[in-house]
Amino acid sequence: MKENILIIGGGAAGMEAATQLQKMGLTPIIIEKSEALGGHIAQWDRLFPAFHPAKDVVEKMLDQVKDVKTYLNTEVVDIQKDNDSFHAVLSNNEKIDAKAVVLATGFDIFKAERKQEYGYGIYNNVMTSVELEKFFRTGKDERINNPKKIGFVHCVGARDVKVCNTYCSKVCCTTALKQACEIKEVFPDAEVYTFYMDLRMFGPGYEDLYLKTQKDFDVKCVRGRVCEVSEDMDGKLVIKAEDTLFGKPLKMTLDVLVLMCAMEKNKSIDAIQQKLGVANNSDGFMQNSDMYLGMNNTAQDGVFVAGACTAPKSLPDTIGEARSVATQVYNYINR
Amino acid sequence: MNSQIFHPFVLPFVLGMAFVLTYCFVGLIRVISQLPKDDRKKLGRSLVTPKTAWANIRDLFGDCLFHVKIWKRNPVLGYMHTAIAFGWFMIIVIGHVMLFTLKPLQGVEVEGLQGMFTNFYYPIFFKYFAEETPVFAFLMDFFLLMIISGILIAVVKKIHSKIVGVKRVMHFGFADTLIRFALWTIFPFRLIAEKTNIMAFWWLYSIDLLIFMCMLPFTRYMHIPTEALFILLRHAGIKVTEPRKGYALAELYSCPSCGLCIDACPMSVNDKMSGNTSAYFMKKLRNNDTEESQRIAETCLMCGKCVKICPLSIESCDIKFSQRAAVPYNINSDHSYLNVISTEAEKSQTNNHKPHVLYFAGCMTQLTPKIMRAMKQIMDKAGEDYQIMDENGGICCGRPMLLSGKVAEAKAMIEKNTELIKKSGAKRLVLSCPICYKVFKDEYHLEGIEILHHTQYIEELIKCGKIYVDRGDTKYVYHDPCELGRAFEIYDEPRYVIHSLGQIVDAKSEKENSICCGGSLGSFNLTQQERDAITENSVNDLMFNNPDEIVTACPLCLKTFARKSPVKVKDIAEIVSEKL
Repeated sequence: MKENILIIGGGAAGMEAATQLQKMGLTPIIIEKSEALGGHIAQWDRLFPAFHPAKDVVEKMLDQVKDVKTYLNTEVVDIQKDNDSFHAVLSNNEKIDAKAVVLATGFDIFKAERKQEYGYGIYNNVMTSVELEKFFRTGKDERINNPKKIGFVHCVGARDVKVCNTYCSKVCCTTALKQACEIKEVFPDAEVYTFYMDLRMFGPGYEDLYLKTQKDFDVKCVRGRVCEVSEDMDGKLVIKAEDTLFGKPLKMTLDVLVLMCAMEKNKSIDAIQQKLGVANNSDGFMQNSDMYLGMNNTAQDGVFVAGACTAPKSLPDTIGEARSVATQVYNYINR
Repeated sequence: MNSQIFHPFVLPFVLGMAFVLTYCFVGLIRVISQLPKDDRKKLGRSLVTPKTAWANIRDLFGDCLFHVKIWKRNPVLGYMHTAIAFGWFMIIVIGHVMLFTLKPLQGVEVEGLQGMFTNFYYPIFFKYFAEETPVFAFLMDFFLLMIISGILIAVVKKIHSKIVGVKRVMHFGFADTLIRFALWTIFPFRLIAEKTNIMAFWWLYSIDLLIFMCMLPFTRYMHIPTEALFILLRHAGIKVTEPRKGYALAELYSCPSCGLCIDACPMSVNDKMSGNTSAYFMKKLRNNDTEESQRIAETCLMCGKCVKICPLSIESCDIKFSQRAAVPYNINSDHSYLNVISTEAEKSQTNNHKPHVLYFAGCMTQLTPKIMRAMKQIMDKAGEDYQIMDENGGICCGRPMLLSGKVAEAKAMIEKNTELIKKSGAKRLVLSCPICYKVFKDEYHLEGIEILHHTQYIEELIKCGKIYVDRGDTKYVYHDPCELGRAFEIYDEPRYVIHSLGQIVDAKSEKENSICCGGSLGSFNLTQQERDAITENSVNDLMFNNPDEIVTACPLCLKTFARKSPVKVKDIAEIVSEKL
């Protein structure tokens, strides 16, 4: 019973789905546009809430898919459904026939330049959460030069009608607190501030992380948004914000400002998605057929979705969905 | 020929005419008495000043009779209005000319009051009572047919407005529908009566006139007599002070509800929002529907397009401002912070150096730091002696407060800023935000200091060779911000600058027809979805000739378009700094 299952995207969702499908006796094929499997999570240093090295998780996942047929640096350029099989054309001109397609295309990071008032790309010392994570991983970033004062801005590109993203990006709150602790570990004398609207500590151990951030790391959490950023003569950042708990505006000079960029739908898949007849939901992510029982299904028979392509998701959420999509695909093949 | 000088069918007309004349006279006294004393003096002076007197005559003929502005916008509608207004005017004039040249009443014993009474209705029903000479008969028939041709267009417009180039028309109630029918039938009845001399048509003609005159004060046709007064008041330089008094009242009754502003309004992207246009605002306020008129006053984007295209130049935005100001918000404003901020700002005015140019970025430019950085680069490159007024915090220009009708609060800010600007000793003030520019131009008293928007300033720097730019082959389209374009007609300066940087393509609607970006501070209660619809429409309009980049000169337009534009949106200062 060897049936090809085309998995588009080789991140956490794609790898985990492939692992499970292979165990079920099907033939998953992963198409990954970048030069390596692993997706965003492979760029991460440690994971919340317990500072677990991301590398451990990624390596285990990679090990599980070592026998899965994988195309790297490859994209699907055309796909057609003919009765109950799919015919895909890859960017290397190879043709693949498959019985089902799993869209595990994940997310893109919100382009921080779009919030011009935060000065990313204008002022040198404004960086994104992804860049900070890279600093933790490599220890190198010329902007981080023994900083004395560091600020984190939550919800950059999320819950913000002005950039047309009204949804919550789910993981940034916890990530910000994790990163705030980590930066304190590297620079214990630095003052660290986070500017939040709400702190959405939704998972197990997350609330504990929040308490730990304040008690053990002395990070100051300010409820209020940063409204504008400018640069002074010395290249330091002057931010204006509001402390809504005190009801007072505040102004502060920082050495580094970190923007917690939201997840946005990965738009590079739009053309293929359209060919497969999968619509977007009001947040711009892919529309699944039902929020509860059909979260892996789409309006199109044989086309499945898993992971952050349908909404912002944490790693455990994504792995859970990848496992459930395998079941759905298995049932579909054996219907 | 009927040798009699009276017939009962003239009575309806006489009644109607007497009523409408009395009503207008009382209305005139009311408007004049509601004017502030100074405005009354202004009016008196303007009537005897040759310049304004000439403007009065020109506009009374040009606007009331010939509708020159409508001709310019839509010749078919122009003809419709001219045919009816000028034609009607001419048959009244010719009627009177006949009365005094043909002297049909000579030898008939009519004197004193009876004579006046006879003179009153005689020209209107001339043909019934006396014989016309062939020349007069031809003229009368000619103008009567001219009116009827105008009415035919009106009927077509009513049935299918798109034929005459109008997308959206006003929706009227019973009274307006009835009077319109009366107006449409007056002249055909007269023509039939004159040609057949059937009594019934003379009666119908007279009764139609009665209906028209009696309903006139309560419908949009009140604009016919009011317009003349409005023109005189406008030329006297009188401004709106209260939403339903004096000058504003004259404006309200002068609005003919022609609906030209409906198609022009940026909110008319859908049917629901087109009810927020000025024509409806004027109608609601005229009918004393305070709740609705207040809502529309607060919804308006204040882009000024309706004022610009209004055939009568009715300042509906001014009335909306005064309507906003009329509502107490009961918010205590604490301005103690102004002193704190100004001390901070003064710190940047270091060691008594008096800069030549003072640059005021404004709140919106602080939120678009790319513009500020570009301006610094440009001024550095040009070797200008400048200082930034609000680098370490500044005070709002006051326009948002003025837009919400909070004049006293705005004044507090204006005073503090004026003090700071004067203290700097600068000769020129450069602004990046048209919102600021408008208030600095209109409300600040900065004698001896030249106020420039950065589009004007950059144009000057390029023209006098202080900066050199490279011309590339990027295709730009320029969006005219409302407060720079329509408000101050700064159309050519930005286009000159863009032209020296690359190719400039036209938008579908440009200059005074430019469509608001949808981000305007003017509106209080448009939802984000409604604003988005406006923005999308405006972006589509700009993308008409497939430009590579959208260029604007307002930080608010920039931020608004950036959300919806398929191409990059940049400020004019940014594209200049890229090519230095």
